[in-house]
Amino acid sequence: MLPRRIVQFLIIYFLGLAGLLAVKYGLQLSNYVIPGPALIWQTFQAEAVRYLRDVLDTMSIAIIGQVLSICLALLVGIVGRQTTWFGSFVKVAAYNVQAYPIVALAPIIFILLGDGFLSRLLIAAMICYFPLLLSVLGIMAEPIRDIEHFYRMTGRMRWQLEVKIRAFENLGKLTTVVAGSATLAMAGTIVAEFIAANAGIGYSIRIALYQSDLGKILIALFLIGISLSVYQGLLEWCGAFIRRTWESN
Amino acid sequence: MTRHRYAAALTAALISFVFVAPGTLLAADKINYRLKWLFNTSVVGDLYADVQGDFADAGLAVTVKSGGPERDAIKELELGQAQFGVASADQVIRALDKGAPVVVIAQLFQVNPLQWIYRQSAPPINDLSDLKGRTIGVTFGGNDETVMRTLLAKAGLETSDVKLFNVRYDYTPFYRGQVDIWPVYRNTQGIVIGRKMQADDDPVRFFIPAGFGVKFVANSVVTSRKMIQREPDTVRRFIRALLCGWEKALDPDNSEKALDMLQQYDRDTPRELLEAQLAITRTLVKPTPDLAIGTIDVAAWKQTEAIMRDQKQIAQPVGVEKALHSEFAF
Repeated sequence: MLPRRIVQFLIIYFLGLAGLLAVKYGLQLSNYVIPGPALIWQTFQAEAVRYLRDVLDTMSIAIIGQVLSICLALLVGIVGRQTTWFGSFVKVAAYNVQAYPIVALAPIIFILLGDGFLSRLLIAAMICYFPLLLSVLGIMAEPIRDIEHFYRMTGRMRWQLEVKIRAFENLGKLTTVVAGSATLAMAGTIVAEFIAANAGIGYSIRIALYQSDLGKILIALFLIGISLSVYQGLLEWCGAFIRRTWESN
Repeated sequence: MTRHRYAAALTAALISFVFVAPGTLLAADKINYRLKWLFNTSVVGDLYADVQGDFADAGLAVTVKSGGPERDAIKELELGQAQFGVASADQVIRALDKGAPVVVIAQLFQVNPLQWIYRQSAPPINDLSDLKGRTIGVTFGGNDETVMRTLLAKAGLETSDVKLFNVRYDYTPFYRGQVDIWPVYRNTQGIVIGRKMQADDDPVRFFIPAGFGVKFVANSVVTSRKMIQREPDTVRRFIRALLCGWEKALDPDNSEKALDMLQQYDRDTPRELLEAQLAITRTLVKPTPDLAIGTIDVAAWKQTEAIMRDQKQIAQPVGVEKALHSEFAF
């Protein structure tokens, strides 16, 4: 699972890079517009270690943000699964909060919380939370009729059991959603760093953009992609492990 | 079979993008002029030349395009999306370092508008050593960081002798007094912040790097080497029309006309502020009456290159003076 993800990422990255180089040599562009392979390699040697540290810094925030989002989405999803007035109220509130663009909210967040850890975390969580919520709501609101009917008829149904049944029956979907939301958490953290933080790969990309250095940006994208592929592969492995454990019980 | 057809279609699309698109870009009849920043007082002459018909009088159909942080005129020149543009000296030198065929045909700002604002209540900065112990705002990666590090080196100060603060769009840290001196564009933000603080009985001063011998060149008009070789007449007509527009826009007799025009483009800034911005812009673009607008300060360009070399922002000397071509303007 993990090697496959990494190989797939490498194929996509190098296809993209080959496309860029085709444009460079087709249009005879200088290294200022699109760096050549030698300059990209030189930049990689000079910046890879520093950028890898930045990516890991960003990823640590993204993971915490994602965990928070999962908890929040599960909480709202469990409450919002009910067809009661309160359930629908929670859903509407959750949708409306997401309607505000993060770039408009970010300056307010940075003024209130500063440009450190908390702001990055909050923005990462805000960006990856909504798609998670939609999926969790979809899964939790959909009854598994044949199984749930049995417990209802025998009077043993509790809300915890209902949640457990629906989660178990949709574990594959949940794992995919959680793995996918890692991308959003990472993107959210990078956006936050790009706007106002003092650390992380988003901050380094901003500096590279100031200096019109596409070589550095390509290295950053490579490291972000590879780290994310490893993380998503691990999440999928965890999902499969939980399912196996659950099934054996 | 279907897979092969998809692959063939994808390859054909890529080939047509790479080899056909450039032809259509370079074959553009009209001239695109990409500015460095959004429409504001710093581009008053560019707009004036367009609106008052200087380009049209020169037989040119010019589209003046606003810039922004995501725009890079030098890249657009190479891609054939613009024929002329405005770029800062550090952009030009970085581009030359990476082999970009860019040339400078006029220097718009004789004094760099990038300066630092600080409170009058703070001790004055009469000597560079007065920076010691202060919290100084810089945009990490921006040219203000380069300028400040040069000033510190000139003063014999280490980075540890001051506190460098990472600057963003939000001025709150300066208003709150967390940062002692804050980088601004003197003719735009400098006026706005200065007025606000004056209204709060907290008047300000400006710290001007050029006053301490650091002349880091700001915005200049650029074009491609290909353009000056293949269409020297167009280059000549363009730059002369542009500089004529600048001369007229900054002529005090044309102030009202220039302000009316600016208000059309910069609706968010009150006229009274635009008036103050225009007055300051005049002193930065044409500091003395006898100095022609567009004059290229070769010594300042060489100093800018030397600064960037000292700070390892370029790998080797680029010989920037070879890319300066004032002969089209004068």
